[in-house]
Amino acid sequence: MMRIVKMIFLIMLLWLIGSETVMAQKVLEFHPSYGKDLVYLADSSYQSNDEDSITITQFRFYISDIELWNDKNKTWEEHNFHLINANEYQTLRISLAIPDDIVYDKIKFKLGIDSLTNVSGAMGGDLDPMKGMYWTWQSGYINVKLEGNSPLCKTRNNAFEFHLGGYHTPFNCLKTVTLPIIKSDNIKLYIDLKKALSSINLKMTNQIMTPSKLAVDISEKIAKAFETRL
Amino acid sequence: MKKTIVVLLLFGFAICAFKEIRGIYFRYPSYWPKPIYNFNKNQLTTEKTFLGRVLFYDPILSKDSNISCASCHSQHTAFSQINHSYSKGINHQIGKRNAPALINLAWNSSFMWDGAVNNLEMQALAPMSNPTEMNETIGHVADKMKHTTIYPKLFYKAFGDSAINGERVLKCITQFMLSLVSCHSKYDSVMEKQAKFTQQEERGYLLFKKNCSSCHKEPLFTNDKFENDGLPINKTLNDVGRMLITHDSANYLQFRVPTLRNIQISYPYMHDGRFSNLVQVLNHYTKGIVRSNSLAKPLLKPILLTNNDKKNLIAFLSTLSDTTFITEKQYSFPVFVN
Ligand code: HEC
Ligand code: HEC
Repeated sequence: MMRIVKMIFLIMLLWLIGSETVMAQKVLEFHPSYGKDLVYLADSSYQSNDEDSITITQFRFYISDIELWNDKNKTWEEHNFHLINANEYQTLRISLAIPDDIVYDKIKFKLGIDSLTNVSGAMGGDLDPMKGMYWTWQSGYINVKLEGNSPLCKTRNNAFEFHLGGYHTPFNCLKTVTLPIIKSDNIKLYIDLKKALSSINLKMTNQIMTPSKLAVDISEKIAKAFETRL
Repeated sequence: MKKTIVVLLLFGFAICAFKEIRGIYFRYPSYWPKPIYNFNKNQLTTEKTFLGRVLFYDPILSKDSNISCASCHSQHTAFSQINHSYSKGINHQIGKRNAPALINLAWNSSFMWDGAVNNLEMQALAPMSNPTEMNETIGHVADKMKHTTIYPKLFYKAFGDSAINGERVLKCITQFMLSLVSCHSKYDSVMEKQAKFTQQEERGYLLFKKNCSSCHKEPLFTNDKFENDGLPINKTLNDVGRMLITHDSANYLQFRVPTLRNIQISYPYMHDGRFSNLVQVLNHYTKGIVRSNSLAKPLLKPILLTNNDKKNLIAFLSTLSDTTFITEKQYSFPVFVN
């Protein structure tokens, strides 16, 4: 009974709000890539056909607090958490309720999960620990998971494994990405993993599973790999 | 238009206000501090607490379906370890750590001996996922539950629909753990002026206030902080405690100050279970303190206790045992009609 009453209340409230602003769904697309190649992992891993001979088997990351800016003014923002997973196509496109009349020339977002959310206990949706982006032996979200193989790694199967996260200073891995964009109903962002991986010394650094200085450095490199292609 | 909104909002608040009523499973004496746990995002209900209790006792949480939370946290020993060989520690701590008693967890701001877990809701993930413990993932556990006859029903009762996900599983286990409040010891009766200490207990109490209560702070018997209480490091385990988490040498050999409630029944003692009785513990505080940069201030000055003092102190510590807690039916293996 209480549930039905609450539903009615919610529906009426939504209808009230809905009738006053025009909501328009815009799409933000993420394209993991390796140089010019697109890295989609749903069917198989990605194998680079250049001299690096890199294989990418897993790439997922959290995006949060998306904002649009016009010059020095914030013109739009949302406070959701999105898990983007190169293994699952449907996660590569997120809809944003950006009204038509909003102007912007920049997009800003966080790569990862903020510290408050990190200490706030169990959550659902993309933040559900079932998604495999939560450390179990020590509390904290994994902001970015990047796994694959490279002949440079003298590990079993030449594997590299980066699980980047940590919300405590000095190992806070949360990064802000700011990119210039042109207003569009379909904003496309690319993440060039070739750029990120070639800036990492894979011979020395190929396993990161805990918050650390290295995790902070590599998070920065992944953040720098985001780009728009005009 | 504005009026309708106001009316609707008031109506909404009224519904929310009803939800404020807390389950009967969380009661504590009026002179205790307020709990730290944020109940707003996980309001206790009879159904959710019960579901958490079922989960706590169900080996479905482990890969080979052999180990439940209760295998290492047994009610008879105030939810501490009953069989030391079971607990292989948590993941990076394989073989190192002793399972602490689960008591008054709503007042803790962090969990595990080194504070590796920052919220009670995330605690269950650690043993569940540890390859040497339960070796499961929360996603797979949720799948297994979906295929039982009992869990969809229990989730329906608790949430109004039978969806099973990580958030719900974790929040229900948390509700059960929150309900583990120990507040019916003789000490509590004395504080509430319903009983009196014997002369020996009274003397022990004075010694306790003088030497121990700065860290084992009343009435919860922990200050909820990390301290180095001067235990020599175990060279083979090399467990540096809080420093593992912070990487800060100021935290070298600091461990979470454990509660001393039910201490007499929750042996062995210390993070690695190195002491099997309270006399050994007191001997450590009087003769065994190892000095280092991170040694806690209150222990810089030696603690002096005669043999009689030790007896008195132990007599006081035994007033912290709570038989209601270890026999309470609401905490025990759940027997229910399907
Ligand atoms: C194999 C033994 C084992 C199992 C199974 C186990 N635990 Fe534990 N538990 C431990 C050990 C050991 C620690 C301390 C580990 C540390 O500090 O690193 C611990 C710590 C805890 C703590 C922290 C208490 C505090 O005061 O900091 C809680 C809460 C807890 N366990 C709950 C659970 C729950 C819930 C389950 C079931 C999902 C469970 N445990 C299963 C051994 C176990
Ligand atoms: C400076 C803070 C401090 C003082 C003072 C202190 N303790 Fe402790 N106590 C701790 C810490 C920290 C631990 C956990 C240490 C570990 O496991 O490495 C502990 C552990 C214990 C334990 C084992 C608890 C368990 O569950 O394993 C007992 C018993 C104990 N203390 C009793 C006492 C008594 C009695 C006194 C006074 C004579 C005292 N403590 C004084 C900090 C303190």
